[in-house]
Amino acid sequence: MSAVAVHRFRAMGCDVAVAGGDPAAMAAVLVRWEDAFSLFRPGSELSRVNRSSAHMLAVSPLFARALAIAIDVAAETEGLVDPTLRGRWSEICVAGRMLRRPPGLALDLNGVVKALAVDEAVAVLDGPGFVSVGGDLAVRGGVDVALPAGDAVRVVTGGLATSGTASRGAHLVEPETGLPSDSCWSQVTASGASCLAADVAAKTGFLLEEQGPEWLDARGLAGRFIGVDGRIVENDTWARSTHEVPACT
Amino acid sequence: MAKDSRIERARERARAAKTAIGALTVLVFGVAFVGAKVHAPGHAKGKAKPLGAPQSFERAVHRSIAQGGQIAPAVQPPPVATQTS
Repeated sequence: MSAVAVHRFRAMGCDVAVAGGDPAAMAAVLVRWEDAFSLFRPGSELSRVNRSSAHMLAVSPLFARALAIAIDVAAETEGLVDPTLRGRWSEICVAGRMLRRPPGLALDLNGVVKALAVDEAVAVLDGPGFVSVGGDLAVRGGVDVALPAGDAVRVVTGGLATSGTASRGAHLVEPETGLPSDSCWSQVTASGASCLAADVAAKTGFLLEEQGPEWLDARGLAGRFIGVDGRIVENDTWARSTHEVPACT
Repeated sequence: MAKDSRIERARERARAAKTAIGALTVLVFGVAFVGAKVHAPGHAKGKAKPLGAPQSFERAVHRSIAQGGQIAPAVQPPPVATQTS
């Protein structure tokens, strides 16, 4: 992608950078997701659902879609990225717009909402560009992206996301214990077919600790891991993709 | 004596008939009871299961969640950075 104007603003509690489209249209998408899913707004739909003591309740199509995806993500990661943060994701059921869950079981969709918002915002682009929310991004047309601890990579298609403790401390929770993870990694960057796929891969790689690189490789996901001691580990998929192969002579 | 013998045989047949009818009644009731439990609509046959999408669809969704993107060596100064937020 040739140089395009980058617009920066704040949304979803993060620094946002967008390029290649109408910033107002993309901001509107992010605001819609924040209005629905912010845990810090008492009037958000997620806050209202969490306050409700009902066993079954009707939710908006956006909420139902996001929660259904969050449950799929929990299944794919065997509960590592869990919308209940308590290993109880399998007790939630979404059918159409109806949500059934044990009364009092609170939901936290932070694990997927930001990435889903990015994916929806990048769909608004009508040409090459990107949307980055707090460093989780999706591209259209190929964009070079600076990586933590130096270096850069070109995201040709899909998304790139980084998870870890470098910015917000130990906020990723081990579902087995319910306690903040003390992973051997400080930051994990992963590539995916979408920002959601990249974000889920980064979080899972972080929580799986030493098994993270192998887990991502087994699924063809590229991951770059920065250890708490500063070492940088690239899994095989990342290394194959980002290192030039000498041309045959 | 012959008369007593005939009455006794008649009683014996009646007793056998009552036993047979009782056994048949118990058998028919048992079969009907089990049949109703297994086949009749409205009878709970196990724990209710939530309606769900076909497994093939769920597998397809799971595959897309864990699908890799495409990256390559950088070619120009990056306009954006990835980081934890």
